[in-house]
Amino acid sequence: MNGNIYHDKRAQWVVYIVFFVSLGLIPVMQADPFLLNQLAVFGIYGLLAMSISLCWGTGGILNLGQGIAFGMGAYGMAMTMQMQSQDPEFSPLPSFMSTNGLEQLPWFWEPFWSTGGGIFLALAVPTIFSLIFGALMFQARVSGPFFAIMSLAMLSAFYILVLDMQPYTNGANGISPRMPLEVAGYSLDPYSPAAYWLIFGLLFSLTVLAKLLNQSKFGQIVRALREDPERVRFLGYNVALYETLIYAISAFIAAVAGCCFTILIQYVSPDQFDVVFSITMVIWAAVGGRLSLIGAIIGAFLIQGSESYLGDQFLNSWHLILGFFFVIIVRFLPNGLAGLLEMLLAKRSRSSTEESPPHGRAKSPAAANAEKAGV
Amino acid sequence: MGGVLEIRDLHKSFDSHHVIQGFSMDVVEQTLSCLIGPNGAGKTTLMDLISGRLKPSSGSVRFRGDELSGLSESDIARRGVGRKFQVPAVFKELTVRENLEIAFSREVNPFRNMLKFRDKAMLAKLEEVSVLVNLENRLSIVAGLLSHGETQWLEIGMTLMQEPQLLLLDEPIAGMTEAEVDQTAKLLREVRQHSTLIVVEHDMGFVRRVADMVTVMHMGTHFAEGKIDEIEANQNVREIYLGTEEDAA
Repeated sequence: MNGNIYHDKRAQWVVYIVFFVSLGLIPVMQADPFLLNQLAVFGIYGLLAMSISLCWGTGGILNLGQGIAFGMGAYGMAMTMQMQSQDPEFSPLPSFMSTNGLEQLPWFWEPFWSTGGGIFLALAVPTIFSLIFGALMFQARVSGPFFAIMSLAMLSAFYILVLDMQPYTNGANGISPRMPLEVAGYSLDPYSPAAYWLIFGLLFSLTVLAKLLNQSKFGQIVRALREDPERVRFLGYNVALYETLIYAISAFIAAVAGCCFTILIQYVSPDQFDVVFSITMVIWAAVGGRLSLIGAIIGAFLIQGSESYLGDQFLNSWHLILGFFFVIIVRFLPNGLAGLLEMLLAKRSRSSTEESPPHGRAKSPAAANAEKAGV
Repeated sequence: MGGVLEIRDLHKSFDSHHVIQGFSMDVVEQTLSCLIGPNGAGKTTLMDLISGRLKPSSGSVRFRGDELSGLSESDIARRGVGRKFQVPAVFKELTVRENLEIAFSREVNPFRNMLKFRDKAMLAKLEEVSVLVNLENRLSIVAGLLSHGETQWLEIGMTLMQEPQLLLLDEPIAGMTEAEVDQTAKLLREVRQHSTLIVVEHDMGFVRRVADMVTVMHMGTHFAEGKIDEIEANQNVREIYLGTEEDAA
């Protein structure tokens, strides 16, 4: 087979390196702290889109409730940062609690006195929640649109819960820690290159890990069950277990994104559990290409980037434009922009072999060998 | 050579409709048994009951002495029962190579599979199976582009990658050309050297070529069993088949 360069693993890794190195160089060339902060927030959107690509693209699990893990992570980090500015002796209680009539720190806030413990919980709680919720759903063989609806319902429940528990969460006002996150005596200024590099370092390493996961036997099995879970079951694999794991891994990445969000914005509110935001994540992945991790990341950059710069000019019609664009993509490019690229490259490689058939034929055994060695 | 599969007094009903009614059967090691019977006799349902897709209403299916009914599909597959479906079920979006790779399910632990990238044992098996099912030159093609006969072979190849002790093949030659049928017959004889097979097939010519034993099902019961000559000579079998035998031949 004459190979489409899109499927060439080496070419893929080159694209990854070029993409992330150029992102990493931005703070060297651009010193405007506000712009850096905004670009770092885009990195968080990239993390979320990538997590959707893993769950929906690789595993075929359409998750409209990714905001659950994202919001839990964001609240966990906000609680950690809030407690950093509290004093155990003189002001053990965040001020919004006393205004809401609480006299004692609620038990589930206690572990957040410790920064390490707080961050651990911010990541562990959403991951464990997803393991349990996923296991319940996938064991019962809930899938496709039914799972999407369940995840959406769960997200709405969380939104209302956080909004209603005013004394514990400060309701609609949200939590706004006064000081940036402090780790081991170092205060992480959200407008600094360090914060930017932290986010993109995480985006880089988690994307590479996700890509390796996709290339492993695990990833292969998950891709197979996207197509036909029944067949995978008859091959001897526990499908529910595989689905639960890919769903929880994706949730973990969203929780990391949530933590980063609070670090950068220093504010968290029930908006992070907003249904529209979770659906937006799915649109990023759909536009960029849900089957490609990097495609989904670029989809998030493109959409959020154009919203920041064009959204102001179009104001109310922005969402209409976005919606129209989304419909066009879903109808004509089911695999998004990455799918378009794949198609164009396939056309190119096909036409080049047609033009020089002897050369193409001579190349094919070598290509087959390379593939044998590569896989 | 002992018994591999022991089915005792198996019943399956959907509401008031009894599909399998007191079916019993023994399958001996390293034999190829063909399961025949008119449409609606319950052949595919029986396959479903053995492989765990359906749970029996009562009765037992024992595989090497262990009860299978009640286990999940994946547990039954893990014990060495491979299944090829009536409508070929391959992963059409993945390449032939990937289809075969996934089917190699010696390791099912997801955490260990996360660290698995290049599996030597799998590659050796893949080489062997791809030659056996005649797909060694088609490995990098997307499975959806294969011809019907090749798709059948791919699925047989996938069940072989599972290294099963018992293979259940539901209509393996449906839609194949004459030459492909010849190859398949050869392939099944070869597979029989190491494993036990149960094949559901309508084509009596094919059954004559491959079967060690023939079991006839009728209305969910075990109707007759024997060598192919005995079955063809059996007047009762001829009666239940009526025109169908000529159609198939």
